[in-house]
Amino acid sequence: MGGQSKPQGFSGVVSSDGILYLGSTDGKIMAIDPSARDQDLSFPSSSSGEWPFTFTLPSRGTLCGSSSVPVVMYGKPVTSNGMVCVGIYNGKVLMLNPLIRSQNLPFPQAKDGEWTYPRTDDTIEPIVGSPVIANDTVYVCSSDSRIYALDMAYGDEKWRSAPLDGKLWTTPLVDGATVYVATFDGHIYALSASDGSLLPWVFEAEVGFVSAPVLYGSTIFAGSFDRNLYAVKVGHDKPLWEFAGGNWFWAAPVVDGDIVYAGCLDGKLYAINGRSGGELWEFDAGSSIVSSPAMAGDLLVVTCESGDVYLVNAQTGDGRRINNPDDPQNTERPSIDASIKGHICVQDGIAYICAQNNYLYAVDIARGKISWKFSLEIE
Amino acid sequence: MVNLWNLIILDPMLNGLVALASSLPEEIGVGLAIIILTVIVRLALLPLTLRQLSSTKSLQSMQPKIKELQKKYGRNKQKLQQEMAKIYKEAGVNPAGCVWPMLVQFPIWIALYQSVIRTLATAPENLLDLAQHLYSWEIVNSAIPLNSYFLGLDLGQQGSASGIGGLVLAILVGGTMWVQQKMTTAPSTDPKQRSQSSMMLLMMPLMFGMFALMFPCGLALYWLISNAIGVVTQYFIGGGWGYLLPASTTQPYDKAR
Repeated sequence: MGGQSKPQGFSGVVSSDGILYLGSTDGKIMAIDPSARDQDLSFPSSSSGEWPFTFTLPSRGTLCGSSSVPVVMYGKPVTSNGMVCVGIYNGKVLMLNPLIRSQNLPFPQAKDGEWTYPRTDDTIEPIVGSPVIANDTVYVCSSDSRIYALDMAYGDEKWRSAPLDGKLWTTPLVDGATVYVATFDGHIYALSASDGSLLPWVFEAEVGFVSAPVLYGSTIFAGSFDRNLYAVKVGHDKPLWEFAGGNWFWAAPVVDGDIVYAGCLDGKLYAINGRSGGELWEFDAGSSIVSSPAMAGDLLVVTCESGDVYLVNAQTGDGRRINNPDDPQNTERPSIDASIKGHICVQDGIAYICAQNNYLYAVDIARGKISWKFSLEIE
Repeated sequence: MVNLWNLIILDPMLNGLVALASSLPEEIGVGLAIIILTVIVRLALLPLTLRQLSSTKSLQSMQPKIKELQKKYGRNKQKLQQEMAKIYKEAGVNPAGCVWPMLVQFPIWIALYQSVIRTLATAPENLLDLAQHLYSWEIVNSAIPLNSYFLGLDLGQQGSASGIGGLVLAILVGGTMWVQQKMTTAPSTDPKQRSQSSMMLLMMPLMFGMFALMFPCGLALYWLISNAIGVVTQYFIGGGWGYLLPASTTQPYDKAR
């Protein structure tokens, strides 16, 4: 009869030291060496630092009794000092040591810097945004309206903010001593990064914010449920400008110099003058853009829910579609046979895309082709 | 086909629900909007419901005659069909008359069900899906995301994860469904049939009670209100508690005669 589907997650890919880290749609956190995948070696290849890691939680309910459930991830993994941190929808923050995970030792190995927050089987409310690591601290937002600051080395709670209004499904923005967060009830709050106390400045919009805020200079850009992209100068009560789209700006915009590139659920990528809010150009991808575009030199890699992947000229807005490698002559068939919602990662001229069919795709940007795909469903 | 369904039925109802929730106090907006929309839809479908009840009642009143015919022509199926058609025609009753009003109502119920479940958008996928159904009206967009709490219950959360509140809601869903069914289920003199109908009388309420635990509480609230309206309608149209009270078990037949 349709309706709500079970959360599947759409985490996306990040890279660090040549290794890709991602959350698969079947609940695994994985480290993948792109060169090993390019050579089609068996996974995990023995010498490349590849690993899959499955973390399960006991299920809770009045009827179901005890069983374990796989994790669901929406935020992208983050890396710092050789560690990998993820926030999961099931309500935990995990800190992983890639060296230890490649040895498949029991998790967590506290002496090697691994931890979970909360430490016990307890959970906090669902985490949707990505964690952010700054000042040896992991900052993460939770659906319980709070921001948590955790010690990066041990996972101890440094502070948790007072409840802000509404669920926090966003990624916090950390700028020096200040943490900014955009909320579902239409506020951008500024908090002290050291103790989580609210700072005097707060921006109030009439409608809630849907996208993670992005800071460029002293301007915060964030998409709202009223279908506008807001530019807000820190310290000001009125927005610098508002840019109207045809639907929500779900994905965090990408800012390059004076240009803001914003993907919209109306299927268009907009290039907006960052100072005036005027439209420079728009590119119609034909289907909802859920993940932020990725910059690759003077090109933008744009993905959409239909599975299409485009390379768009950042100056002119001219774009070309990547054809499906299994059917290259067919211009009707989507570039990838699955929806794309997760974060895209560009490294060494290759865009890595994790699609909802649980495959990782490598797009050679210069050649405009998908060079390989790799199934993430590993036993 | 899916687009047509969304355009004509689902999207108007879904946006109506969000707009209604938006114009009500935020603390109870969604819950009250579900209740009001369920009442509106049930009232709009009342003529069909009345026709269905009337047809069912007529069919029930003819059961003694049908049984007589079955005894008389039990072995001659063709003759039995002919005689049954004859008495239906004489009484001006169409046996399918109680089915088609129900069939017409089904799409509306499904749209209401989908509206409730989509509006409550508990996971990011659901919210993304909701974005594709919302109109650009300010009243709709300013209400998103809806506050899913109602009387201390998170309507977006599974009943089984909602503690005692979810359990009470599930019991109420099952209970009201049992009452509604009991009011209309004629007790049979045949022990085998009686056992079957007793089983059916329990199965559906139990099943929906379980559904109420498995699905978001908002949906359980919709079922509860829908059942309650069904009971009230049945009470006033059917002339009392029907077969619910032991003393009234023979009344509908007697009245019909």
